[in-house]
Amino acid sequence: MSFATASMNPQAAFWTATAIFILAYALIISEKIHKTIIALTGAALMIVLGIVTQEEAFSSVELGVDWNVIFLLFSMMVIINIMRPTGIFEYIAIRSAKFAKGRPFMIMAVFSVVTAVLSAFLDNVTTVLLIAPVTLLICQALELDVVPFLITEALASNIGGTATLIGDPPNIMIASRAQLDFMAFIYNLAPVVIIILAAYVITLRFIFGSRMTVKKELRRRVMAMDEKEAIKDPVLIRKALIVLGLTMTGFVLHGMLHMEPATIALAGAATLLLVSRIKEPHHIFSEVEWTSLFFFVGLFIIIGGVVKVGLITWMSVKVLEITQGNLFATSMVVMWFSAFASAFIDNIPYVATMNPLIIDMAKQLWPSLQGTALLHHPDLMPLWWSLALGACLGGNGTAIGASANVIVVGMAEKMGSPISFKRFMLYGMPLMIESVIISMIYVWLRYYVLNI
Amino acid sequence: MKARDLMVQVDALLKADDELKEYIEKIRIVRSKAETQGARALPVLDASGIPIGVLSMKDILKAIYPPYMYSTDLSLFTWDGMLESLAKNISGKRVSEIMSSPVITVKGDHSLMECVDHMLKHGISTIAVVDPTGRLTGMIYECQLFFAIAEALTGGKGNRK
Repeated sequence: MSFATASMNPQAAFWTATAIFILAYALIISEKIHKTIIALTGAALMIVLGIVTQEEAFSSVELGVDWNVIFLLFSMMVIINIMRPTGIFEYIAIRSAKFAKGRPFMIMAVFSVVTAVLSAFLDNVTTVLLIAPVTLLICQALELDVVPFLITEALASNIGGTATLIGDPPNIMIASRAQLDFMAFIYNLAPVVIIILAAYVITLRFIFGSRMTVKKELRRRVMAMDEKEAIKDPVLIRKALIVLGLTMTGFVLHGMLHMEPATIALAGAATLLLVSRIKEPHHIFSEVEWTSLFFFVGLFIIIGGVVKVGLITWMSVKVLEITQGNLFATSMVVMWFSAFASAFIDNIPYVATMNPLIIDMAKQLWPSLQGTALLHHPDLMPLWWSLALGACLGGNGTAIGASANVIVVGMAEKMGSPISFKRFMLYGMPLMIESVIISMIYVWLRYYVLNI
Repeated sequence: MKARDLMVQVDALLKADDELKEYIEKIRIVRSKAETQGARALPVLDASGIPIGVLSMKDILKAIYPPYMYSTDLSLFTWDGMLESLAKNISGKRVSEIMSSPVITVKGDHSLMECVDHMLKHGISTIAVVDPTGRLTGMIYECQLFFAIAEALTGGKGNRK
């Protein structure tokens, strides 16, 4: 029992939690202090001041840390950390460049598609960190400007990540809160992502298609690379691919098996650790991005606080007042607002706030319903998909919209060809708007016209 | 023996805005002298004679090395002529852009073991010896320390002089 609860009336608790929430988000946006430090400080304050109890923060499903998200992210990080040194990703990238026959636009298109597909199943940042170095090497071999290749890869990774439950953190968070399974994401988001990706590549063709040419002798450099030499540990690759395949099958079936995605991922990570015969797993664990994981932990506790004091309920009432209960209008507003919000601020705290807000809206619309009957109400579903599409795709708008963008901007700077905020936006913003327009038409057609 | 007893005088000094070819010419001259044959680095001084960096052969390698190659093992996919074309890219660079800084310094009366400690912990092979006001008085290269160890090891019989 905290000392503060006794003394703090509901009114005071409401304003205290709201102040912590606003201050924490403002500081995260300002980037003056590292976001994980802010999130953990905010979380500590919520508990110390008695807004939530430690038990609520650590173990309540409604108010506490969403361990489903943490363990899913952690497990996928472990799997990737084991696979990274095997050379499989270099193999895929060099193979792709040769498949494109060293022709610059083809390389851009093939790398975009490969990045998108990998991002659908792996973390976006990891995908970019694995593919971009090879891209840079290929660009140097072909004496091409690296900037368009880096930007288009980051954008493609955000598009691809939108397609599945495990592709992008917002989807992981939405899936956990809304209790949506892997196949629901594939069924509802993958079709539109494929359309968006096709439109994206066609647009790139108009922008870059005729601008890039490469001499034949330079192309020979790429064709001379032997991708098989990238393979460092064929035995481990075989094991990893089998385990990854089983894990993916597990994701496909997790709804039927009544297992949470985090259970599947954890089983996959544990199996790979076991069969990879790693004697000292220390480096596998030390390379896990603990800073990001604890950012999530802190955020969940902060959000738990504002949910408990009723701030989120108040916000959801306001949203319903504005949209007058029209759910089509609401989902369009959610999609566009999410897109522009995610372009400028971190989409993780944004989605962490939107999830309980949408659930609260549903509670007010259908007070008699509970559980999945409430969360999966047919009229509510388009809202979840609009949030996922907006929050994931919106990241493409600016250089700071998604972690993958930040990574490529950093790489370009190290390469001596820095990408300005404006230059990134020149490519990113129109392509982001294009993808959101496609999503808008898709949501409208599928859920409000065709009802499928 | 102390740092000042082992240090060598280097008269080939660099300034921050010198061009790289300045280094290439001067290091050739330095290496032709008996006491600095193993030298790979030259000190970079500011206007008042305080060392602000060291430019070594390894810094030149780092300057042409593409940063993305650190994170991924791509060595097998490099091509003939890559080194030459990357070298052309850095021809216009100034000393200050690629030197290692800050420079590790010791005072003249510090021990040789301290120099060994700095070299191993910082992965360097050059230490600047400075006077109490911070101005450069000499350099200690890896080879000087090696000869000091060799001399101790062989009881003076390995003396190179």
